[in-house]
Amino acid sequence: MKLALTHFETTLLMALFISVVLGVVTKKTDRERLRYGLTSFGWFMVTIFGLGWLMYLGHR
Amino acid sequence: MSEKPEILYPPLPPVSKWLPVVVVAWLLPGGGHFYLKKTYRGLILAGAILIPFVMGLMMRGYIFEPTGGDLLTTIIYYGGFLANVATGLPFFMTKWFGYESADVAGHVVDYGTKFLVTAGLCNILAMVDAWEIAVGRKD
Repeated sequence: MKLALTHFETTLLMALFISVVLGVVTKKTDRERLRYGLTSFGWFMVTIFGLGWLMYLGHR
Repeated sequence: MSEKPEILYPPLPPVSKWLPVVVVAWLLPGGGHFYLKKTYRGLILAGAILIPFVMGLMMRGYIFEPTGGDLLTTIIYYGGFLANVATGLPFFMTKWFGYESADVAGHVVDYGTKFLVTAGLCNILAMVDAWEIAVGRKD
């Protein structure tokens, strides 16, 4: 079985998995972990969409 | 200028107390946390490391071999190999059962390679976390 995801799907999943790990290992309470994981995922999203638009506009 | 408050850590316990934790954490992603009875965190880490590893294999990602050459090639191949080895048992099982794929060009394969490397790097973070719990620097 071969998995073929788009670049966008792959990036989203990568951001999700890394955020989960960062959230679990960096903070000391569950509340802080959840908050850090969500913040990390949010910044990944900002970067993904920011760079996506930058590349789109750069190629016009 | 204000001085930063000094953080005092408890003295390191003997190696025999934390080495088994680190080895288990390396071999089985999330295993160090299971060993320390941090079951939920262990489960979350195991999922967040093993799922991308399996997805990387399903995308026919390349498992790095330590290859020398010019500086960039050496850094990429040795670094990638170390990250792959850091995944522990899943890496060895991939080798033993012949699931590794050839280093071919292609975007999906490339994503798979990144997933495999990321899984290993995340397992290093999990190992460090397990070590910190084992030596009493963290709960």
